[in-house]
Amino acid sequence: MSYDMIAIMMFSTMMLMMMTGQRVFGAIGFVAVTASVFLWGVGGSDLGFAAAMKLMKWYPLLTLPMFIFMGYVLSESRLADDLYRMFHVWMGPVPGGLAIGTILLMVVISAMNGLSVAGMAIGATIALPELLRRNYDKLMVTGVIQAGSSLGILVPPSVVLVLYAMIARQPVGQLWLAGVFPGLMMAALFIGYIWLRCKITPSLGPVLSPEELAQVSRAEKLRLLRAGLLPVIIFVSMMVPFVMGYTSLVESSVVGALASVFAAVIKGRFTRQVFETATRETLAISCMFMWIILAALAFGAVFDGLGAVKAIEGFFVDRLGLSAWEILILMQLSYLIMGTFLDDTAMLVIVAPLYVPLVKALGFDLIWYGVLYTITCQIAYMTPPFGYNLFLMRAMAPPEISIIDIYRSIIPFVFVMILALIIVTAFPQIALWLPEHVYAR
Amino acid sequence: QSAPIKWRLQTYAGPALGVEVIDQCIKDFNQIADGQMEIELFYADQLVPTGELFRAMQKGTIDAVQSDDDSMASPTEVTVFGGYFPLGLRYSLDVPALFNHWGLDEIWKEEYAKVGVRHISAGSWDPCNFATHKPITSLADLNGLRIFTFPTAGRFLSRFGVIPVTLPWEDAEVALQTGELDGIAWSGITEDYTSGWANVTEHFLTNNISGAWIGHFFANMDRWNEVPPHLQRLMEVCFNSSHYHRQHWYWNGEANLRVNETKLKSTTIPDDEWAKVEEEAHKFWDEIAAESPLKAKIVDIFKNYNDTMVKAGKPYRYS
Amino acid sequence: MPNWIKAYVRFVDALNYRVGRFSMYLLFVLMGILLWSSISNILRQNAIWTLEMAQFTMVAYYMLGGPYSLQLDSNVRMDLLYHRWSDRTKAWFDAFSVFALLFYLGVLLYGAVESTIYSLEYAERSPTAWRPYIAPIKIIMCVGIFLMLLQAIAFFFKDVAKLRGEEL
Ligand code: NA
Ligand code: NA
Repeated sequence: MSYDMIAIMMFSTMMLMMMTGQRVFGAIGFVAVTASVFLWGVGGSDLGFAAAMKLMKWYPLLTLPMFIFMGYVLSESRLADDLYRMFHVWMGPVPGGLAIGTILLMVVISAMNGLSVAGMAIGATIALPELLRRNYDKLMVTGVIQAGSSLGILVPPSVVLVLYAMIARQPVGQLWLAGVFPGLMMAALFIGYIWLRCKITPSLGPVLSPEELAQVSRAEKLRLLRAGLLPVIIFVSMMVPFVMGYTSLVESSVVGALASVFAAVIKGRFTRQVFETATRETLAISCMFMWIILAALAFGAVFDGLGAVKAIEGFFVDRLGLSAWEILILMQLSYLIMGTFLDDTAMLVIVAPLYVPLVKALGFDLIWYGVLYTITCQIAYMTPPFGYNLFLMRAMAPPEISIIDIYRSIIPFVFVMILALIIVTAFPQIALWLPEHVYAR
Repeated sequence: QSAPIKWRLQTYAGPALGVEVIDQCIKDFNQIADGQMEIELFYADQLVPTGELFRAMQKGTIDAVQSDDDSMASPTEVTVFGGYFPLGLRYSLDVPALFNHWGLDEIWKEEYAKVGVRHISAGSWDPCNFATHKPITSLADLNGLRIFTFPTAGRFLSRFGVIPVTLPWEDAEVALQTGELDGIAWSGITEDYTSGWANVTEHFLTNNISGAWIGHFFANMDRWNEVPPHLQRLMEVCFNSSHYHRQHWYWNGEANLRVNETKLKSTTIPDDEWAKVEEEAHKFWDEIAAESPLKAKIVDIFKNYNDTMVKAGKPYRYS
Repeated sequence: MPNWIKAYVRFVDALNYRVGRFSMYLLFVLMGILLWSSISNILRQNAIWTLEMAQFTMVAYYMLGGPYSLQLDSNVRMDLLYHRWSDRTKAWFDAFSVFALLFYLGVLLYGAVESTIYSLEYAERSPTAWRPYIAPIKIIMCVGIFLMLLQAIAFFFKDVAKLRGEEL
């Protein structure tokens, strides 16, 4: 059997295994070790464990439990409640204002954790019931929360960019800074979309009634603004020492985790229950990620062993004879398609090592590509049939929201995200200006 | 004709460095072997992490390895000499001289055979200098510097107040940017430019801690024995051609980049002061020699060789 | 189901729960180590052991915590079809597909044990300035993978029981 054939078989077997509903890491790991034993006999049996040793050296992943813990402390201690009220009161008079406020809330949450989980949890528990109670369109609000929470991996800190940094060997600090403006731009596009839809069809997002607004005094409104201070403090305490070089990446993540605990303690919300849930869920989610990455690393090693990098390069460059930009676009498209079916963490670990060398060889900037990659990951994360958000949404959404609603709700937002992807592709300076400015010597 | 023999060789080098240090000799081998044998090349960490290279070869997960003894954590007594043994070598030609004419080759072959590995050949790789943020003009400037380096050098350099820092290799560049590191003592100027460290440091110290890193090709002993003699010989020849390429690549690069490139400014510690470092190195050698008879034997060879070079005078030694 | 199977499932569940609860708190050990690293950095007293110790702690965290995370059912499945199935259908599929998981964990364990024996035999040390022995962390990994294997077998028994109309 030719190597290309084996590679294709590995991929399709993995997809098939996933369909059985077996745990993702089990499906990937099974295909990886089976292929490696089949290809390389007894010697191949070590490949699975060699991946564990490799993973141990990926020390930036030490940030993973920290950023997850941080997110859980924020969501469990309901630190976001005041924030939500702030956006709620201030944005209320605008068409679709509460949905817009939710996006803004998500941006702030994104700046305080490295994944999408916390945004998802906060959105589904605080914002979703409130929006439904006020007769917001359920498709719209379901989409808002999923799309908004996906910003968690683009706006720094971001675990996905940490993973990408390790694979592409690029500095995390620059990648994070590169994510700032594209993240804000995407949020602005979401807001633009919501505003436009609600302007045209006001029933989708009713404006708050004047009576209700009158209940909130001016003093109260100003007091609520202070709620916005807390996230700024947490973000600054974590990012500034890191970007200035006083603390290393992993140390900054600890500072962030501790800052969130500190904030919860000050607010008197760090209960035993919060501590228990945050600690337990951090273990659960960290383990899920680490075991998936472990399996995906073994899968990637076998793929590499089959010469997949050269095969892909040969396919794009020699067989199709494409230009650099055409290859880049084709890669993003293929990644989008694979991403709809597959877990985005696993995709990142398996596919990025295949694509990154090619992107580099074509002469593109790897920091910029990291941002493109992350946006593609966000889309992969959003799109059915597979994505954590779908998984989480199903678990958290009230019963009146069906799975079909969840699937349908993301469609317009995915288009907005694709638009963002195109804009950042066409104008790399949106991503690159900030890191170049900050790290300029 | 029987099915071709297929080998997997993993190198310690990443793709960028690989272009200079391995790609060509593998291409040459595959071309000349003309279908009788094919070596597939893998870069650092592709199949197995570099720390597991030795075991993976011993076990047969991969068939052959290009690495120094230190990076692949070889479980032999010669490992301590594998990186840059402090001031053991002055010039890159010292390595082939020592291996081919002073008996190191036999010692290496014997030690590796004990652990089921064939030592194919040793070559002279890059020298080791400092690349730093601040200029170093005297030994005192080393005091308190946080330097990314390899274990043996770290042990040695701490005598001059250097704080050795261990990081994954690929994180050194970022650590230099953020100021976590004050500099690196890892390679010569050629690799400083090739790997991008020249972009994140400002000064280069021309005094080297070692004239060359000793690097090798190894193979799983059973796999090696299965290969017919003419292909074994071809492999030796091709691998030697890779070592040879390095000789002139580094020799040219070390001089050319100091003179004609501007990213790094060169400084030098005066000879009489640097003599103190050499003196300390000899004390360090004696400590290593005391660890085992085999190590003592190798240190003796270094001493005798260097004595001969000093007595030979210019151009072998200028001091 | 036979009594010994019930006893096995109860034992494995309880064991992995305890081990998991223990490793859950390693998160704070990890924080402590990294915090110490920050402090020693600021004081310019480079602590050579912190990074590797943090790596070892992280490995113990997710390896020993793995079986407990399986119990918490936090490991995502691609549930395009899965979530629509009845509990019985799920049990049927799981009872078969769990062998893929078992095979993976088995090969992983084989590699881990081999690698650990090597580390013990040659007294392997990490090639860093700190030079810690590697065997202890490899032993912890062996234990973690072995516990994962035990937990996966327990799941298999639970699924079989479910198909026979019992609940373990
Ligand atoms: Na974030
Ligand atoms: Na998806």
